[in-house]
Amino acid sequence: MNHEAKRKIEGFIALLLSTMAALVGLFWLVFILGDVLVHGIGAMHMSLFTNDPAPAGVEGGGLRNAFLGHLIITGFATLIGVPIGVLGGTFLAEYARGRWISRVISILADIMVSVPSIIVGTFIYALMVRPVGHFSGWAGAAALSIIMIPVVLRTTEDMLSLVPWTLREAAFALGSPYYKVIIQVVYRGAATGIFTGILLSIARVAGETAPLLFTAFNNSFFSYNMNGPMPSLTVSVFQYAMGPYNDWHAQAWAASLVITLFILFITITGRLLIKWRYKQ
Amino acid sequence: MTDKVELEIKGLNFYYSGDIHALKNINLTIHNKSVTALIGPSGCGKTTLLRCFNRMHDLYPKHRYEGEIMFQDSNLLANGNDLIKLRSRIGMVFQRPTPFPMSIFDNVAYGLKLKGIKKKSDLAERVEKALKHAALWDEVKNKLTASAYDLSGGQQQRLVIARALAVEPEVLLFDEPTSALDPISTSKIEDLVMQLKKDITIIIVTHNMQQAARISDWTGFLMLGELIEFGTTERIFTAPSEKLTEDYVTGRFG
Repeated sequence: MNHEAKRKIEGFIALLLSTMAALVGLFWLVFILGDVLVHGIGAMHMSLFTNDPAPAGVEGGGLRNAFLGHLIITGFATLIGVPIGVLGGTFLAEYARGRWISRVISILADIMVSVPSIIVGTFIYALMVRPVGHFSGWAGAAALSIIMIPVVLRTTEDMLSLVPWTLREAAFALGSPYYKVIIQVVYRGAATGIFTGILLSIARVAGETAPLLFTAFNNSFFSYNMNGPMPSLTVSVFQYAMGPYNDWHAQAWAASLVITLFILFITITGRLLIKWRYKQ
Repeated sequence: MTDKVELEIKGLNFYYSGDIHALKNINLTIHNKSVTALIGPSGCGKTTLLRCFNRMHDLYPKHRYEGEIMFQDSNLLANGNDLIKLRSRIGMVFQRPTPFPMSIFDNVAYGLKLKGIKKKSDLAERVEKALKHAALWDEVKNKLTASAYDLSGGQQQRLVIARALAVEPEVLLFDEPTSALDPISTSKIEDLVMQLKKDITIIIVTHNMQQAARISDWTGFLMLGELIEFGTTERIFTAPSEKLTEDYVTGRFG
């Protein structure tokens, strides 16, 4: 066999293997999304959004409380996590740029990103649930914000580092103090990137169940009270899917679809923003 | 060109972190309302010298100045000098255009707002004046709210000059302002520099010897951190007294 023919065969094998690997990955993705879509749409009903859960075993009812609770918990997690993440990232990229402390915090944040979320849940349980003796929405929001912070922190740091240093020098050369340089020039330059990071971090926590199990727990009733147990979609899906009633299973499918679409929407928005930013 | 002294550099030594001796005993007089060019091979310290005048080195740790730079009867290297005020009196234009990520108007208004000018009519008036001064007004007057990134490289550089001019500095430092520009944009900037010297003192670092010869009144030649020779541009380029200067300006090295 001559050299050229051998190379062609090798090229074909490489192409075949990588295409197959891609197809296997894609198959499961489409399968999962398709399954959620088929079951979810079948179970979708207006009462899901307008009614609170019916007593166990009774047909009907909805997950209005869980939708609301989920939004409240995720919303407060964002309110806590985003400022800490953005300010922390600013510290790393600006005030501590090039110092060892910046490297150390950066590496710790990278480790934090991959810590199993249930560990964050048990940590908050020990910190905020055990001492007061009851579950609370606040504990849930705190757990989610701990998962968000390293994601937001690292994206902010990376995005700020991408802003050319000469831009800062130019602002200094006009007599601007550092905090104004950061707020008025550097943040503007990195705004799209930081915003994208925030969106992706919301998508990251919106689908979390484990950190809420030990913190916000769940609640079958409509509740605004962040000091008490709070319902969430993901924990409700978990409990309904484990439950014995067909009606619960159907509602769990529908709720799964809603969460999936919500996360898909945020992620795609984030991706589009990145694309738009780099096209400029 | 006048004989009035704007800046008097006396026995200036500068060290980067790690005690790298970047400027060695520089003595030099910058004349009021003139263009002074600093030339020399890469790494000779010309940009380092330029960045002493607005204390840009203070952004980085472990630098050290020795000696004096007298700026109207006070040593601008003195400890405790108000750098924010100093930098509004001595402006700087960089090698690559550095427009801020905001509109053309806001770019020029940036330094004015820092100075506390808030009234919209005042801002508009001074932005227009600065843009006219930088010969950019006619090209941007109908799109002041557009992003500064929509401008070409040469226009961006003139915008940055307008931004520096808006705060009415007494001295303007140029760090190779045309090295990233095409020939037409370069000649526009050069014309502008010659116009500006009627009102302000200009110090320009350049790699381009023809440029130094074309636009400057005074030229300083630096090598390895030392000021080899300083004099009128005409003399430096036609009858230098040092052999090194002659070799450099005739293109024998560098």
